[in-house]
Amino acid sequence: MSLVKQLWLIILGLLVLAFGGSLFIGVTSSHDYIEREIRLKNADNANALALTMTQMPKDDVTLELLVSAQFDTGHYRLIELRTPSGELIERRQAEAGIDGVPGWFVDVIDFDVPPGQAGIQDGWRQFATLTLEGQHGFAYRSLWHGTLALAGWFLLAGLISLALAWWLVRGIRRPLQAVISQAQDIAQRRFTTADEPRTRELREVVQAMNRLSTVVGEQLGKEGQRLDALRRRLQHDGVTGALGRTTFLERLGVHLQSQDYRAGGILALIRVAHLAELNERLGYAETDRRLAGLVRTLERLAEDHADGLVGRLNGSDFALLLPGVDDIDDIRHDLHRHLAVWTQDASIPLSLPGALALYGPEDRQSDVLSALDGALADAEAQGQQRLNIVAEKHDRLFTGHAAWRDALQAAMQEGVQLARFPVLDDRGRLLHMESPSRLYLDGQWRNAGIFMPWITRLGLEAELDLSVVEASLKHIVEHGDPVGINLSAASIRDARFVLELQARLQAHPEAATELWLEVPEALAVRELTSLRSFCRELRPLGCRIGLEHVGANVTRIADLHDLGLDYLKFEEGLTTDIENSHEQRGILRGMATLCHSVGMLAIAEGVADPAQVPTLFELGLDGVTGPGVRSATPGDASGQ
Amino acid sequence: MADPPRLLSPALTRRRLLVTLGGLLIGNTLLGWPRTRLSAGLDHDQLRRSMREAYGEHGLAILEEWLHLLDRLDDSDTDTRLRAVNDFFNRRVRWLDDIDIWNQKDYWATPLETLARGEGDCEDYTIGKYATLRQLGVAERRLRLIYVRAHLGRSQTTQAHMVLGYYATPGGEPLILDNMQPSIVPAGQRTDLDPLFSFNGNGLWTRGSSQSRADPVDRLSRWRNVIDRMRQQGFTLGR
Repeated sequence: MSLVKQLWLIILGLLVLAFGGSLFIGVTSSHDYIEREIRLKNADNANALALTMTQMPKDDVTLELLVSAQFDTGHYRLIELRTPSGELIERRQAEAGIDGVPGWFVDVIDFDVPPGQAGIQDGWRQFATLTLEGQHGFAYRSLWHGTLALAGWFLLAGLISLALAWWLVRGIRRPLQAVISQAQDIAQRRFTTADEPRTRELREVVQAMNRLSTVVGEQLGKEGQRLDALRRRLQHDGVTGALGRTTFLERLGVHLQSQDYRAGGILALIRVAHLAELNERLGYAETDRRLAGLVRTLERLAEDHADGLVGRLNGSDFALLLPGVDDIDDIRHDLHRHLAVWTQDASIPLSLPGALALYGPEDRQSDVLSALDGALADAEAQGQQRLNIVAEKHDRLFTGHAAWRDALQAAMQEGVQLARFPVLDDRGRLLHMESPSRLYLDGQWRNAGIFMPWITRLGLEAELDLSVVEASLKHIVEHGDPVGINLSAASIRDARFVLELQARLQAHPEAATELWLEVPEALAVRELTSLRSFCRELRPLGCRIGLEHVGANVTRIADLHDLGLDYLKFEEGLTTDIENSHEQRGILRGMATLCHSVGMLAIAEGVADPAQVPTLFELGLDGVTGPGVRSATPGDASGQ
Repeated sequence: MADPPRLLSPALTRRRLLVTLGGLLIGNTLLGWPRTRLSAGLDHDQLRRSMREAYGEHGLAILEEWLHLLDRLDDSDTDTRLRAVNDFFNRRVRWLDDIDIWNQKDYWATPLETLARGEGDCEDYTIGKYATLRQLGVAERRLRLIYVRAHLGRSQTTQAHMVLGYYATPGGEPLILDNMQPSIVPAGQRTDLDPLFSFNGNGLWTRGSSQSRADPVDRLSRWRNVIDRMRQQGFTLGR
């Protein structure tokens, strides 16, 4: 039985005991008191009348008058005179006079009052015995009314007490519920902290659980930092902290091949001209310091545009990748402004020519890079601060905001198509179908890389995401297999979107449990508050929430431990080369363990080589997806 | 009762009275004397204990005499009983005003108290005789305690007085047991007495029960009060 129910039972029991007992004692003592009074009255009146009669003449008329006078002016039920041998001399009797009182009450109360008796003397002789009984119908009536009033008051007091009790129980129940839900969170390895309630015992419990959560959070943080340090050593350039060439190019490849917003964006190359000269003039240490500073400048720019990347392609060439961005003039201007710190350095200005290019899902990596190389060479030849833009060779689908808006809205009206890539667990079972959205634009289904930048620019994220949710719910209802979809950061920030999403999930409570919602990690961690409230609102509806493309910054996982996320998808970059690199395996194993310790599934994205799959599961991952992963079921092959 | 005559005055403090009564109440646990067969289920042990507690060996001695009287009269006829009881009390008890015995204006003593002190006024005699006769099994309806106006000698002086009347028949003339005149005579011969009102224990007892209603309010009445105390001391009146 629940504590609250027990409290209620105790309170009700106490009320019934207290009020029932009071009523019983009240009625009983009134009953006894009244009974005694009537008995005394009977006895005293009998004696008084007998005394009077003893002194009076004993003729019939006098006796009758005396009895009548007493009976008529007093309150009697019976006055009777009998000779000592029992013959009746005189008798007056009245009705019991009990009206307005229920019969059962009279039966329960049942005053037991003996009549008063006294002897009448005539000289030495005993003349008669007087029997007298007072009228006590009034006693039933007054006791009945007293009982009613008492019961009424107890009812009122009972109601007031119940109201107070309700208030009290509510005061206990709310913090109790909070404690329970925190305990359940911890049982599910979500180490949340909660506000301390006012009730002392509960507060101590919450304090203990908060301590536990904090300790766990700190340990996770340390572990995350350790893994991150390991990863940085592997993937980053030791001097500048930028990504190493291999890693950067891999990431670029992943972006280009991805089916989502990352497939389109801007790539920039910056060259530190005359590096050898610089080394000679400044010395290696100072040069390295300048290069590191340059990388930090570029990273700031990258951070301004969500999950941008900075890489060092060789000694003097640095690359900046800004996925999902397509206003190249704006970026060029921005870059120019940022680099000005270094080019206009008074003592020894750096010469920083550069080139920018738009890339799209149709582009090959080598084409983009060689075009950029050419533009960079031109810029270097033209002058030190030149930032060239690679001419756009492919046509845009539409020109201008209005055209894009119309086309996108029409396409969304038309309906979203979901691509299907299976995510499998270690026994080849389907975890869910990863389903990036596609829109029918200009006569053909286009993937997100093409329209996503315009969706962002036009602020249509919520609209698109809702269409995708509807399409996926419909798919789940029809086919029954779980579906994973991407949500944009703008959507989870949008309170109205969250409400709409809740409404749709509530309309399909069964299907909602098969829906996996994922948000890009780089975007999500910038919106931690929104993500937190998003998780709080949506988790009760049964859908899973996870982060995709996790990899750039593992330390953040530790910060996510109390969100209640269900899974993380690790970026391709983390899984490449695991056959050969011991350290890479170490990182992946550590991250999987970290995920498991906070109750999340660890899934590897972009697995290209089927041979990698067994290794990945050995390292502790729970799921794999990518070109190298094929579902056993025909028809679930990747793509359409 | 009204104003009884005052003649002699041995003093007894109120404190002594309280101690006495307290002792009567407490003394329930002491020794058990051999129980003799006697009328109407009198609680001998309880009586002896009460007496001993309050009045010591002297009290016990007179109690034994009283018990012996009861024993002796067990198979006697009514006349013998009346005479014996009347004489017993008239001889053993010296007349004294309540104020001098009990330091109270009007105190109704129990037979035990009256016998132990050997002093009492008219209602103490009457109560003693009444209780003894009841104990011997004389029916309640035959006994009445009668308030009378007594003419003293040949003078016009009258005083309030109480006697016990024995009614052989309900409507007939009673025999009068009086402390002022030692012999029992029919009421008609007592021209010095003027009856005013009479009462007995009728109606005090609940149906079929030997207990009076255990109600503290009842003790506010002198008559009921003395009956109550008698019961505590070991009388089992009302059978």
